[in-house]
Amino acid sequence: MAVKKPRIVAIDDEPDFVDTIREYFQLRGYEIDAASRAVEGIELINNKKPDVVVLDLKMPGINGEEVLGLLKSKQPKAKVIFVSAFDDSGKTRKRMLSAGAFAFLDKPLNSLRQLEDTVNRAYSAK
Amino acid sequence: MGAFFAVAFFFHFIIRYLELNRRAFVTIVYFLAFVFTFFNWYSRSRFFLGDIHFVFNQFYWIDALKYKNPLFFVFYSLFFWIILGYAFFLLLKAFRNSSGVTHDKLGYFIIAIGFGWIGTNPLFLSAFRINIYPYSNFLVALYPLLVAYVIVRHQVMDIEVVVKKTLVFAGLLASVFAALILPTLLIQEYIFRGAGVGGKMLGLAISGIIIIASLRRIEDFLINVTDKYLFQKEYDYKELLKTFTGEVLTVLDLNRLVKLTVDKLSDIIKITSCGVLLLNNEKNQYELVASNGIGSKGIALSMDNTLSSFLNRTRAYLSVKHQGKDSALPPRIVEDMNKLRLELAIPLVAHDEIIGILTLGKKKSDEDYTQDDMDILLPLAGTLAIAISNAEMFDELGKTQAEAAQREKMAVIGTLSAGINHEICNPLGIARGQCEAFLLNIKDGLYKNKSQQELFEKAKKIMEKVIHETDRATVITKRLSTFAKPSKGEISYDISVKHEIDEVLELVGYELKLDHIDIVKEISGALPFIFGDKKQIQEVFFNLIRNAAQAMDEKGRIAIRARKDTRKVVIDIEDTGHGIPGDKLTQIFNPFYTTKEPGKGTGLGLFIVRQVVERNRGRISVKSKVGEGTVFTLEFPMSAKVKV
Repeated sequence: MAVKKPRIVAIDDEPDFVDTIREYFQLRGYEIDAASRAVEGIELINNKKPDVVVLDLKMPGINGEEVLGLLKSKQPKAKVIFVSAFDDSGKTRKRMLSAGAFAFLDKPLNSLRQLEDTVNRAYSAK
Repeated sequence: MGAFFAVAFFFHFIIRYLELNRRAFVTIVYFLAFVFTFFNWYSRSRFFLGDIHFVFNQFYWIDALKYKNPLFFVFYSLFFWIILGYAFFLLLKAFRNSSGVTHDKLGYFIIAIGFGWIGTNPLFLSAFRINIYPYSNFLVALYPLLVAYVIVRHQVMDIEVVVKKTLVFAGLLASVFAALILPTLLIQEYIFRGAGVGGKMLGLAISGIIIIASLRRIEDFLINVTDKYLFQKEYDYKELLKTFTGEVLTVLDLNRLVKLTVDKLSDIIKITSCGVLLLNNEKNQYELVASNGIGSKGIALSMDNTLSSFLNRTRAYLSVKHQGKDSALPPRIVEDMNKLRLELAIPLVAHDEIIGILTLGKKKSDEDYTQDDMDILLPLAGTLAIAISNAEMFDELGKTQAEAAQREKMAVIGTLSAGINHEICNPLGIARGQCEAFLLNIKDGLYKNKSQQELFEKAKKIMEKVIHETDRATVITKRLSTFAKPSKGEISYDISVKHEIDEVLELVGYELKLDHIDIVKEISGALPFIFGDKKQIQEVFFNLIRNAAQAMDEKGRIAIRARKDTRKVVIDIEDTGHGIPGDKLTQIFNPFYTTKEPGKGTGLGLFIVRQVVERNRGRISVKSKVGEGTVFTLEFPMSAKVKV
């Protein structure tokens, strides 16, 4: 397949979740790096210049919202997809989307396929 | 022998007086006393009291050094000092832990015993030929004097009853003796002089008839006389009134009220048994809720029961004196009366309804209830009925408050859901993702070049992860559901402050971490248990820790400290938040006071926290400095149960 696949960085404070995603995308030929701490994630973003960032919202230390802000100022081209279990009847989701996030998916994911589709849509939407 | 058993008697008395349970110990002490006596009597020449001789020509004592076996005397001295020392130690301990009249009584006792000791000490010295003139012996006289004073002044033991019975008995004995001697003598000496055996028998018979005919009357007469001249009964009534108006009827806790009632009534009127039955509206029966001297618990009289229907019909008291006078009581009533060991049953009428029955047993003096007794007991029962009805209403009110607390808790849990959702959804997300990825990888042919063995290992790893993650979700769900359940109102005596705080932190900890709030715990390891409703106490911690977190926007520190302070456990929950200005500080425990945005807080949190704390016999206070933070301080009395 000639279609270029997006470069992904995933940041989530649950190492097992990050591993699941990494394995899934790697097996399917994506270039993906993952971190379970936001600080490492930011470093990855700086080094790898990803097309899409899969991001958790609530994390100890730096949270997803701050990472989004950072990305918007430094690498505005990168698309952000939130995957979070945080639910305050849609308020935060709205805020993130208006702050420039591409999508906000709930944890648990309906399907990994859905995430993959969203990643691809984000990549092609640029 | 006296010296040996005096120790045992004294020890036994102290144990009984302090109401301690040391039966085995007492038995051993008696046994030792017996052993000493045995050796003293049967082996005098070989072992024990060697040479009783006079010291200073006045005080005889023994010479320890002259014994064939002086060790024996040493053993006895040890026995004497250890047992008495232990008894004295128990007394001192009780003295320190007591208050009020009991405190005074014990104080006198200790002083009296102290005099007794100092007085007798030199006798031991002389046994070892240290001859100091025992002036101090005269101090011994102070011992009975002081004890007698305490007995009279503070009514230690039921000495009145004892004295009275003794007097009545002595009087009776004298009368019987007089009745026996006089007629017999008169008849024998003057009327049937020389009538031989037959005359004597006749004299005895007449005496017998006189005694039988007059005995009961003489007894009544003697009881009346002793009552009238020696024991002014009005004192009892005064005490009864004083105790009930001052200590008992003001109690709002229903259980405590009825327990106090039976205790104080038994104590003051000196009756062998006493009980309170209260109407259970749901089951429509009178249930024994507090009792003293009524062996069997859980007695309930249904409405169609003869005793309760009798009281409901007559609305008047029922006394055993009614038995056999005008008409015999039905046997079923008598059966119930025996079951409740009552001589007197007084209906408790409030709001025109018999809400309970007060039962009074036999007086310890064996006397019947008099009209004087009834004149005070009936109005007392009337007031008691009102107090009980008030306490019941207060209890109802407490239940309504408990419901409000539950609603508040659910509201709080609602706001918690963000954090808890995270804790449940994350593991579920991982479990689902792992399984889905495996299936999709097979479907997409990505595992084509993997061997069966590799696939098997892969599946095994996934299963293990799924189990681990579902367990994680289960733990948090369970914790949440335990917390959300309304409290059952059960009192636990082994609540560990540390454990409860840890439980609460497990529940809120993740959220606090997300909000960059550090938790500092300084909880002393050797903290005693506290008692109360475990769930309610957990709620208190939960509310205060959450409040502390909310007082800080983001970033900050919550310090939780717990320490022991005399008989209390003191817990501080301190935050580094905004602080509360002085004028608001007085309002924060008021209902519906809130500083949060509309919809965020019900304003019931701290109000309910205080209610719950006070219901668990605790206290809550607050100190705050604007810009620095707030400390809530909780105090709970420590439980009697010892930590193991």
